[in-house]
Amino acid sequence: MGMPEAIKAKWFWYSIFCVLCWGAWALVSKLGTEGISASGMQFIFAFGFIPVALMAVIARRARFERNLKGIGFSVGNGVLSGIGGLALFAAYRSGGNTSVITVATALYPVITVALALLVLSERLTRLQAVGLVFAALAMIILAS
Amino acid sequence: MHNSAWLWFALIVLLSWGIVGLLQKLSTNYLSAEWALVWLAVGFFVLEPWLYPGHVLFKYSLRSSGWAFLGGVLNALGAWALLAALKSGGKASIVAPFTALYPVVVVFLAPTILHESISARQALGVVCALIAVVLLSTESSEKSSA
Repeated sequence: MGMPEAIKAKWFWYSIFCVLCWGAWALVSKLGTEGISASGMQFIFAFGFIPVALMAVIARRARFERNLKGIGFSVGNGVLSGIGGLALFAAYRSGGNTSVITVATALYPVITVALALLVLSERLTRLQAVGLVFAALAMIILAS
Repeated sequence: MHNSAWLWFALIVLLSWGIVGLLQKLSTNYLSAEWALVWLAVGFFVLEPWLYPGHVLFKYSLRSSGWAFLGGVLNALGAWALLAALKSGGKASIVAPFTALYPVVVVFLAPTILHESISARQALGVVCALIAVVLLSTESSEKSSA
């Protein structure tokens, strides 16, 4: 039982804050898509990232880094995150149930795990294998 | 049954964010979390010329635009908090599955904020998906965390 210890730990509260922020992000995104197209949503959403990214750099006094590989991966990350965000906003606009869409799209670790197997030669743990079965079940139920 | 358009969009999300999960691992091998966040924002702006909605942008209600902007802030804050959790001693094997539970917030608040409810069948799918997300977010093999 590490729970009481965890509650005292900083990482625990950062994690809770993360869950709340991302949960709230999904909810406000749904509200936004009621009046704005998917591309308009993603266009404005990107501007919301700037203050936080700048704050992160200034608060940590992080020195400028220009490792080309790192930049390439991160920019690629942003482009793909943007495409994913665009599709998420389109899904919200399609009129489907917000909870169902949010949960279904949160299943993306299925792809990450599959790619990690192929690209990073990582091995599937037993827990992840069970997770894949549950993911398949979830998609079948939610899509039917 | 009636509207399955969302499913196709959801598949695009799964594919693109699935690759993002992998790139995230790779990018933080070369950059600090803070600069990874900055360059990620740059990546968003690469798409902006294609996303620019034209003059309609100025016709959007302040309320809707505010939600979109707030969404960006909240998403970035969440990403930063996740990185901070990892930096302040949280094990990736615990923090990643924990933070993957963010849809729970939506499932609980959607009925009151959005006035949406889910059917019993959808609830079963949601439970399966949440179990899946937690299990899939556990660490692969014995890779040492940075």
